[in-house]
Amino acid sequence: MPPLMGIEFLCRVSDVLSDYLGGLNEDVIKDNFVIVYELLDEMIDNGFPLTTEPNILREMIAPPNIVSKVLSVVTGNSSNVSDTLPGATGSCIPWRAADPKYANNEVYVDLVEEMDAVINRDGALVKCEVYGEVRVNSHLSGLPDLTLSFANPSILDDVRFHPCVRFRPWESHQILSFVPPDGEFKLMSYRVKKLKSTPIYVKPQLSSDAGKCRVNVLVGIRNDHGKTIDSITLQFQLPPCILSADLTSNTGTVNILGNKTCSWSIGRIPKDKTPSLSGTLVLESELERLHVFPTFRVGFKIMGVALSGLQIDKLDLKTAPSRLYKGFRALTRAGEFEVRS
Amino acid sequence: MFPQFGATAETLSKASTMVFRIGTDAHLYDDPDDVNIAPLLDSKYDSEKCEALKRLLALIAQGLDVSNFFPQVVKNVASQSLELKKLVYLYLLHYAEKHPNEALLSINCFQKDLGDPNALVRAWALRTMAGIRLHVIAPLVLVAVSKCARDPSVYVRKCAANALPKLHDLRQEEHNSTIEEIVGILLNDHSPAVVGAAAASFASVCPYNLSLIGRNYRKLCEILPDVEEWGQIVLIGILLRYAIARHGLVKESIMSSLKCSENFHAEKHVSDDNMGLGKESSDSWAYDSESVNMVFRCYIESPDEYLSRSSYANRASFELNGAQFTSGKTNDDVKILLYSTSPLLWSNNSAVVLAAAGVHCIMAPKEDVKRIIKPLLFILRSSNASKFVVLNNIQVFAKAMPSLFAPHHEDFFIYSSDSYQVKALKVEILSSIATDSSISSIFKEFQDYIRDPDRRFAAATVAAIGLCALRLPRMAHICVDGLLALTRQGLFLFSYFVLSVCLDRIKVPAARAMIIWMMGEYSSLGEIIPRMLTTVLKYLAWCFTLEALETKLQILNTVSKVLLGATGEHLSTYKKVFSYLVELAECDLNYNVRDRSRFLKKLLSYNFVSEGVEEITCCHVVVDCIFKKQTREVKAESINYRVYLPGSLSHIVLHAAPGYEPLPKPCSLLLDDFNKPEGTCAIVKGAGDHGTSSDPSDNESASDYDSQHSFTGSSSGAHADDNESSEGNENPDPLIQFSDIGNASEIQDGVFHSSPANLGEISNRALESWLEEQPGSSNPGILEQSQACKSLARISIGDVGRRIKRKSHSLLEAANGNGLKVDYSFSSEISTISHLLVCIEVFFKNCSSETITEITLVDEESNIASNDDVPTLVPMEKISSLEPGQTTRMILQVHFHHHLLPLKLALFHDGEKLPVKLWPDIGYFVKPLPMDVQAFADKESRLPGMFEYTRRCTFAGHIEERNKEFGDSLLNKDKYLAICESLAVKMLSNANISLVSVDMPVEAKLEDASGLRLRFSSEILSSSLPCLITITVEGKCSDPLNLSTKVNCEETVFALNLLNRIISFLVEPAY
Repeated sequence: MPPLMGIEFLCRVSDVLSDYLGGLNEDVIKDNFVIVYELLDEMIDNGFPLTTEPNILREMIAPPNIVSKVLSVVTGNSSNVSDTLPGATGSCIPWRAADPKYANNEVYVDLVEEMDAVINRDGALVKCEVYGEVRVNSHLSGLPDLTLSFANPSILDDVRFHPCVRFRPWESHQILSFVPPDGEFKLMSYRVKKLKSTPIYVKPQLSSDAGKCRVNVLVGIRNDHGKTIDSITLQFQLPPCILSADLTSNTGTVNILGNKTCSWSIGRIPKDKTPSLSGTLVLESELERLHVFPTFRVGFKIMGVALSGLQIDKLDLKTAPSRLYKGFRALTRAGEFEVRS
Repeated sequence: MFPQFGATAETLSKASTMVFRIGTDAHLYDDPDDVNIAPLLDSKYDSEKCEALKRLLALIAQGLDVSNFFPQVVKNVASQSLELKKLVYLYLLHYAEKHPNEALLSINCFQKDLGDPNALVRAWALRTMAGIRLHVIAPLVLVAVSKCARDPSVYVRKCAANALPKLHDLRQEEHNSTIEEIVGILLNDHSPAVVGAAAASFASVCPYNLSLIGRNYRKLCEILPDVEEWGQIVLIGILLRYAIARHGLVKESIMSSLKCSENFHAEKHVSDDNMGLGKESSDSWAYDSESVNMVFRCYIESPDEYLSRSSYANRASFELNGAQFTSGKTNDDVKILLYSTSPLLWSNNSAVVLAAAGVHCIMAPKEDVKRIIKPLLFILRSSNASKFVVLNNIQVFAKAMPSLFAPHHEDFFIYSSDSYQVKALKVEILSSIATDSSISSIFKEFQDYIRDPDRRFAAATVAAIGLCALRLPRMAHICVDGLLALTRQGLFLFSYFVLSVCLDRIKVPAARAMIIWMMGEYSSLGEIIPRMLTTVLKYLAWCFTLEALETKLQILNTVSKVLLGATGEHLSTYKKVFSYLVELAECDLNYNVRDRSRFLKKLLSYNFVSEGVEEITCCHVVVDCIFKKQTREVKAESINYRVYLPGSLSHIVLHAAPGYEPLPKPCSLLLDDFNKPEGTCAIVKGAGDHGTSSDPSDNESASDYDSQHSFTGSSSGAHADDNESSEGNENPDPLIQFSDIGNASEIQDGVFHSSPANLGEISNRALESWLEEQPGSSNPGILEQSQACKSLARISIGDVGRRIKRKSHSLLEAANGNGLKVDYSFSSEISTISHLLVCIEVFFKNCSSETITEITLVDEESNIASNDDVPTLVPMEKISSLEPGQTTRMILQVHFHHHLLPLKLALFHDGEKLPVKLWPDIGYFVKPLPMDVQAFADKESRLPGMFEYTRRCTFAGHIEERNKEFGDSLLNKDKYLAICESLAVKMLSNANISLVSVDMPVEAKLEDASGLRLRFSSEILSSSLPCLITITVEGKCSDPLNLSTKVNCEETVFALNLLNRIISFLVEPAY
């Protein structure tokens, strides 16, 4: 078996388990060990993946939810194994459960983007790109056939699709044509490279002499998108040669964790002042100056904007039902946003 | 500080988890033992049984052995509740191998469930039944699988496909042909889900049987995008293998660019002239042809060939001729493969993307290869583990075609969250794709990396800078300036130290040489370096012999440099190291090293003797010149290790992992192979397997047969009848003569008529006495004999003994055993120690270039208390040494106790231990029991009814044989004899039995072989019970025959297994 296949499969198992159990840790697995056994048995057979499609799995082995828990307590009967084979196993669209019915037909499309950026020691933007996902949450009756098109597909550097997306329409017209799975799923992921600017700036200054190192970090908004930037955090690993650190900030809180990770959570940037972190680090006794400098990892969240600039043009449903509610949202987070010092 | 608060928080959280855990199985996990499980299992309520099983599962999960509940659990397999069934299956699969007898009790229920209208029930029953893995029920599972392979439900068919590898794992060769047939059926399925699973079972059951793919190739290509992701990964690999085996390589691909390099240069010039951007375009095609060739050769070569090539340094062994190429533009099969894999580059599953990229890299025309770059870079954004795998693959691609990756160098910039391995790989790739235009930004990055807290990584970066400088001589000054800047900053001291510490971690010769050069160059810098130089030099001297050529030269240079600059107390140490190194170098295999050492010795000794100032400066000048030249001389690093197929496990671990197969030889699959009967191995495998060894014996057997007088072998005298030899040789007509050793004169000129009707009349009563002697193995002459039973004539077939060919199995491949290849075959010898032992001939062959010593095979489980039931090995003598190319034969004696499971042995050689598995063959758990027909009939009549098993099968061996002999003007050969002989040979080559008689009905019609009967007898080794085998033939001589094989034996289980084995080898085509 190719190693990447093994790794992918393990990732899939962990996705399914955390989807079922609402998290993945030792206790949760112990508490639901029967379901875990049943799932693993269904997902892999003789070392080869058998059923990994979450929709089918969910029909075969019911996830534990409040209703079933209560039921099981009341009735004492706790069967979560389906009696019949899910219809989707035989269909050519295995991701879609057979013929769901909804009173309200709704589709929500979310653009969730993560910005990866590297700013080098000179403060220059070395690399800035966006990794985005189009997440769709569909509650549609019957067998809907959707088409989604972008206003500016040319900015996409590369794409990857959910198996439901038909390849040929994308190849010819950059149109996503698909029969969606029921519920929430990742329709596609994309990458936009070579962006010119980041929404916030981080300016670290470290100067060290005489066994000490002075730190001063400034954080600010570079250009206004009209949207507020939330939950700004800054994390960095103190170099191992540091004995103690005394860091204070004018906004937010600073924590130094046991493994010498310093985390500064700012939240929203106040209007009246620029957040700054300052303080001194004490080096080990033999060292005169600091030779290795930490890398600052930045986190933020911006609601309502896709920083890549990708825009959804329209979403159409062939054989439209009487009433279809469509919703669009966007969100940008920091991915691997790093500032070297 | 607040103990009371802490306490409340704890209780609170406890309470909240209690609430949260209601309805889960947590209580079962925490106290699985708090109720008595046994009565629950026998309860009449399904819910109670369920609870009991959940408790058992909890105990299993906690690592306890609860197999003692097995009988009670098995009973519940009949339950109607699906949840209960599922739980029982989980338990059953966990313990079935421990309790084979009890597990058998569940078989009836599975059989019943297989007929259930609910598809889920059928599928689960099949999965569990196949998963139990008992040899005894394998025939039943096979029937079930072949039934389910035609099931209306897709899911059940998919499970059937998944069950095939499980059956194949049991290594019961009798089922192989049926299994392959089912794989063929499933590959032809119209549902993509089934095809994916079938592809997976194809890959594990019969990866060489590419003719199976050939039949469905186009359909498989078209269905590929719809197959589920896991199946896609496997199917892509299979289709690639098929396309290469069938059509060869694409001549427009980069993999064959070397071959076409001349044409390619011509094209380049044309493009230069035509286009304004000519320079640019020709640059983009500048592939590293040497690496490409190397990579590509590795893809096709099997590990064996690689071993032999590297040991004999025969680099030219791999040649491609023009016929092995096809054009990707005109060949439809290649086009459709590329067309159907190209959308997979957008797959969500990174393993699929990588597999598709591998196909494009090998098969796609040069100008289309660039489409794999972006998807490959996209899948880099995933977990650290897969990042590492992807980067490893990109590294090889990037070395083969650096120009394609060059514009994307930013993707290889590191993040602080990357693991060290990922960072090191990224830096290495960066250094290999750097171009004149990108080096400045890459170099800026490198300067940042040097300050990374991880000093190993910083050191790797320094080495990468060195590599960049070597690759891009024009930019070398930037790199050197940068490094010198480091030295000035004093940081260098530290990196110098790190470098020398890391020296034994950095394996790339160029990088090592670079570091060593830097050590020499800056040996007098600062305070610390001179102090640690002695240690470093000693280390270098210690590992000198293991270094690559360029590193050796650099070490010599560095040491002499240090020596020249040295003063004071260390001088004597340096001198010692130097003279030691020079001595070593003078004995080096490479003349460059020898020359260099002599030169330096002369130069420096002169220097030390004269001690004149002028000479020293002169020497400095000379040495400096050498060093400057040296740095230019070092070649860019080429891929000088072995490369494996992209995406494979071997690629990551850098040695041939078990199960690794290189690409098939281009064009090794011929069109004719499609006409061959199913199940034949269509691929011409590498040299040295039985294919070559069987050919001469086939020819020989053909000539043996047409007349027993014209033996070519030296041993023929022992068998051939001297009286007849002269006239037989003169007889050009391949008429078969029937004769008898004792009374040769009486019938020696009787001609065997092709009309069998008169056989009875010709029969000679006088010959009956001769028949009393044990027939079958080595008696020449053709006899026919009327029997006590009037309606049957008895035939004696001659000389089958010579045609018996024991099948050879492989115990250890040369690739896994460092060149030691071990094959074994079962022998008909009777052990001299005990009649219970089975003799096995083992052949040890040394395929490597070095002598292998101290080879011995030991029973791995022998130290475990010697239970009566465990197969044991009689200790074998040690082979003290085996020269390269030498083969030694040993007889191994094993007491199998009728175990059909493989025997785990440990093979020791050169003090190394290798685990190997010996697969027993039930055909050799018996020994010949000579008896006459009367005794046979007597015994047979005493073993009726339940001691008798019959199975039917078809036999085509005689047709194959006839086809082989087609060219030898043997058309007139008697068909009856041909059938009898091929049947007898087949039986005797695969089982240790004796032939009792061959009978045919007197009133047989022409061309009709019905009624032909062969009898064999044997005795079970362990119980000395007789075991009688009768084969009755039906059908036309020239068609495949229907055989009905009957086994009479008191030990019924053994008889059944033996019967299955016999059927399997009868069905199996000749190889």
